[in-house]
Amino acid sequence: MKLSRDTKVSDEIPTSSMADIAFLLIIYFMITTTFAATQGLDFQLPKNDQDTPQIEKEESVLIEIKPSGQLIVDQQPMQLDEILDYLKPKLERNPLKPVIIRPDPNAPYGDMVNVFDELRQAEDKIGFPIKNISIPTQREIEAFWF
Amino acid sequence: MDLHASKVREAVIPTASMADIAFLLIIFFMLTMTFEVDKTRVTLPETVVRMEVPKKAAYISVNEAGQIKVSSGEELSVPVASSEDVLSFAAGVVATNPDKDFVIKADEEVPYRTVDGIIDALKRANVKVIYLLSRAKGQEEGGSS
Repeated sequence: MKLSRDTKVSDEIPTSSMADIAFLLIIYFMITTTFAATQGLDFQLPKNDQDTPQIEKEESVLIEIKPSGQLIVDQQPMQLDEILDYLKPKLERNPLKPVIIRPDPNAPYGDMVNVFDELRQAEDKIGFPIKNISIPTQREIEAFWF
Repeated sequence: MDLHASKVREAVIPTASMADIAFLLIIFFMLTMTFEVDKTRVTLPETVVRMEVPKKAAYISVNEAGQIKVSSGEELSVPVASSEDVLSFAAGVVATNPDKDFVIKADEEVPYRTVDGIIDALKRANVKVIYLLSRAKGQEEGGSS
């Protein structure tokens, strides 16, 4: 009696499910990917307290930030976009004039960043950069200033 | 004359290259993915001037409630109690790598007092450069992480 095999074994590697697996992995990566913020304002810190130059109030421009967000520049209330125009003639006379940002401890952090960002845009807005921007901490103000 | 098709064409969509394309995409995602050491959800302040933060920089995050977390850039961030803890953390990191950059990732609404304490701690730890993480001006919030 002749017994014939009616089924053939394929000699191919089944790859049809490979794409499904790969696309599942892609979906996993796409869902778990978060767009992290990786940019910000750089701020060079002085080397140490001994090297911190003493800055006299009269020599510098003092920008105070009140808790309400109000800006006081050299005792005068001012809008953010007016600061650079105010600073321009002073810095033309003395490019190394220190500009001090002094936020109130209760002022929002974002207001300090807004002022710092505005000063960092000096090169684009008034034609030259501000070389000496200082943000003293409360401890430094109490220990060294005035 | 007997004209008939000698072979029947099967209706098959060739999918053999699909896996190659998919694996290329996977490789792309794997290469471009960066390990995020700090997942604190904060609303970053907006700035026009933005510099690229160095990879492997140490992170100090402050959320809206004022909770501080630190990471040396190698592992996930851990909460600390106060800015004094930030000082000991930063001093330890700087002792290992004196040129380490630090990133402050703080919510824009957090009182400046908290950030002032952190900046002061970093100054006392002899950190050279800090970065104030920000989002581009005009960019939607979307809960920067």
